[in-house]
Amino acid sequence: MDHSILMAILLLSPFVGFLINGVRYKQPTYKISGGIATAAVFISFICSVLLFSDLVGMPADQRKIHVKFFEWLNVDKFKVDAAFYIDQISGIMILIITGVGTLIHLFSTEYMHHDKGVTKYFAYLNLFIFNMLILVLGDSLLTMFVGWEGVGLCSYLLIGFWFTDKDKAAAGMKAFITNRVGDAAFLLGMFILFSTFGTLNIQEINGLAPTTVETSWMGALTLGTMFLFIGATGKSAQIPLYVWLPDAMAGPTPVSALIHAATMVTAGIYMIVRLNPIFIMTPNTMLVIAIIGALTALMAASIGITQWDIKKVLAYSTVSQLGYMFLAVGVGAFGAGLFHVMTHAFFKALMFLGSGSVIHAMHEEQDIRKMGGLKKYMPITHWTFFLGWLAIIGIPPFAGFFSKDEILWLSFHSPMGHPVLWAVGVVSAGMTAFYMTRLMCLTFWGKSRVPKSVHPHESPAMMTIPLIVLAVLSVVGGWIGIPEVIGHTFGHIPNYLGEWLAPVVRPIPNLAEADHSLEWALMGTSLGVASISAFISYHFYVKSPEIPGKIANSIKPVYELVFKKYLVDELYFKTIINPLVEVSRKVWYYIDVNFIDKITYVLADLIKGGGGVTRSLQTGNVQIYAMYIAIGLVIALSVIIIK
Amino acid sequence: MTPDVFLFWFLALLIIGSGLAVLLFTNPIYSALSLAMTMVGVAAIFITLHAYFIAGVQLIVYAGAVMVLFVMVLMLFDIKAEIQAFSSGKISGAIKLISVGLLSGLIVGGIIMGQKSFVGELSKDAVQVAEAQKVKKSTSPDAATKELGMVLFSKHIFGFEALGVLLTVIAVGTVALARSRGGTHHAK
Amino acid sequence: MQNNFFTDISLNHYLVLSSILFVIGMAGVLLRRNVIVILMCVELMLNAVNISFIAFSKYTQNVDGQIMVFFVMTIAAAEAAVGLALAVTIFKRFKEVNIKFFEHLRG
Repeated sequence: MDHSILMAILLLSPFVGFLINGVRYKQPTYKISGGIATAAVFISFICSVLLFSDLVGMPADQRKIHVKFFEWLNVDKFKVDAAFYIDQISGIMILIITGVGTLIHLFSTEYMHHDKGVTKYFAYLNLFIFNMLILVLGDSLLTMFVGWEGVGLCSYLLIGFWFTDKDKAAAGMKAFITNRVGDAAFLLGMFILFSTFGTLNIQEINGLAPTTVETSWMGALTLGTMFLFIGATGKSAQIPLYVWLPDAMAGPTPVSALIHAATMVTAGIYMIVRLNPIFIMTPNTMLVIAIIGALTALMAASIGITQWDIKKVLAYSTVSQLGYMFLAVGVGAFGAGLFHVMTHAFFKALMFLGSGSVIHAMHEEQDIRKMGGLKKYMPITHWTFFLGWLAIIGIPPFAGFFSKDEILWLSFHSPMGHPVLWAVGVVSAGMTAFYMTRLMCLTFWGKSRVPKSVHPHESPAMMTIPLIVLAVLSVVGGWIGIPEVIGHTFGHIPNYLGEWLAPVVRPIPNLAEADHSLEWALMGTSLGVASISAFISYHFYVKSPEIPGKIANSIKPVYELVFKKYLVDELYFKTIINPLVEVSRKVWYYIDVNFIDKITYVLADLIKGGGGVTRSLQTGNVQIYAMYIAIGLVIALSVIIIK
Repeated sequence: MTPDVFLFWFLALLIIGSGLAVLLFTNPIYSALSLAMTMVGVAAIFITLHAYFIAGVQLIVYAGAVMVLFVMVLMLFDIKAEIQAFSSGKISGAIKLISVGLLSGLIVGGIIMGQKSFVGELSKDAVQVAEAQKVKKSTSPDAATKELGMVLFSKHIFGFEALGVLLTVIAVGTVALARSRGGTHHAK
Repeated sequence: MQNNFFTDISLNHYLVLSSILFVIGMAGVLLRRNVIVILMCVELMLNAVNISFIAFSKYTQNVDGQIMVFFVMTIAAAEAAVGLALAVTIFKRFKEVNIKFFEHLRG
């Protein structure tokens, strides 16, 4: 089929779903609304598959599908078209977005069945998919920004979905405002790039990338990429703008699965991978990216160990895994970063949906201290979650192992990386294994601490089928990117993903030849660390549950600090938010109330007075009116005659 | 002094005099009669201007119908004399008189100022042309009326028909307005 | 001056006559109290305009002026009829024709 038709259907199908559900947003019909929404995304998925297969059929160096719908802006030298571009990178992304999106829509249909605003929910979800597709497919930074803002909006709408609860509404606002700060940085980055290159079209920018590395910290390209990266930290929840993601758990769980695990938060990494020709020429920015990524991974993992809410654990896990992805792109391993995006989408969405299933069965209880032993009540949920757990802690041959391992290897081996970064990555991997195992133990294994009034049961098919599909993907998803070292050993299995992305991803400059034995050693180290942590965690939480409590008590101040998320939120409130609110209040009082309002009152009184004066002209006496006419006539005639 | 000139001045004084009389008499019946006199004078002026048909219409319509109407209505009201004929208010009255005077002065001044450029020549030309074309455009009553009729019924036929409609509407409206039960309200 | 002004009747004379009559009529509208007399002064103004039209018609040899007067006359008559009907109605209702009592349109 013609590419422009496929592209149009791909983009417009979720938008049409949004419109249809939008106009009937008051109906509580979950089957119809869910059906429409899921069908819309599924149609997009079919189109993605068709376009992707067309892409596969093309020769490797010409894999692009470019569709221009209309010219959007044409001002002097600034041209932006409403055009969309599928290449190797965005091809993968659209498959993930629409595929995982369909599964999550299906899950939501059952999960939200008792909510009165279910149609509104599906409208928002479809709008989100539409905007996310614009983000990944836009061929200009400005089009991408449209999608960027759009997903921020949908995120706000969906996080604060139950807005009648003040805290939930506040969480939505927090997400939006933090995102906005990032968006401001993104805009600045776009301005700098435009003034440097004269265009915002991504392919043109990539083509105009310099061939020599820019070493200055104040160089235009470095500043541009730095600002873009700050924008990415807002969207993808890195330090310093990650604070919204744990609060975002206030929204419905499928929202967390879709937006805050699989798609929106990966937008930052996607943007960097797309623009890799210019990022790779600014090593200073890359250094900052790698450091922030590693630090975020570490910090979030440490907080994740202490949390008691199942969704918060997964949220911090997401922040931590995003840190890994940024670490990857920071050392130049763009392909590895994208690979981890894909595998993370599978297993994190799986785990979020699994937690949704658990919460549903526990009648909206989210505290894992009140769970335990759910394995025998919810077998499908348990076994799919189990596969996701294996994937995230990095056990071969599951998906997470291959992607995470490649990141760790390249953070050690790349000339832009450093052994310290690798070490931080390994420690975070250890912590990841620890808290994920802790989650499994406290939720599914061990003694049951479920209160007597709650009778957990397995979720219906519409919820378990997506879980099963995602579990299968978590198992096999990693096999398309098997690194060379393993592939060679086990009989020439090629690194499909690496080959697929090679035409559009610049290789790491000055990459030395890989020392296989070193690679095996590092792989073994990280695998060992992860396994040992998992085992320790199992011992703590299932075999001897009193040990963690004792450890926490013995390091109480440190524990309290970590449990309170390092008091980052409190810091932000004290230093930024409260002063701003105070200043705003003063400005409101002194300028708006005292000054501007007074001006309007004075004006109004003047006009009233004037009106009173002119009112006295209306005497009601017709002859007086005729006199006015005569006077007017006299004046007019005298003016004419004098002229 | 030629008859035309004498006629003009006589009629001019007659018209202005009776116009002032309309203004100044306190008894409204006297005002009405003065108005009738003015109308007749105006009809005579029309005749001096060779507009014979219009003069006839003036007499029939204005002096004959409209004035009769006025007098009839006045008789209906049965007012013998005005308690107060003129509007009160010295200041407003003064302003009115002054403005009216100024207006007349301005108009006359404007006319006289324009005379050199336009009207003076035109009057001489008109007389010459009229004399030259005495054969073609004669100013006899029949020829003038015939010419008027030709133009009226060819160029201005639409206005003529519209006027007919207007008169019908007026007739109906007036009857509706003045019905004994007070206009267009239905009877109880 | 004497010769030209009083013996040569030009368009100006008729226009001045018309304007004086018009101004008299306007003064009447402004100054008289009786509704009927006001209507009569309006008729006076219309007549003044008619004189002016016919004068122009004669001095520009164009018969359209007379046709205009024809129309004006008809409409003036119609307007007088309607105005008088209204005055009759008002008189029946208020038993007064003094416009001093009709200042209802005040602000």
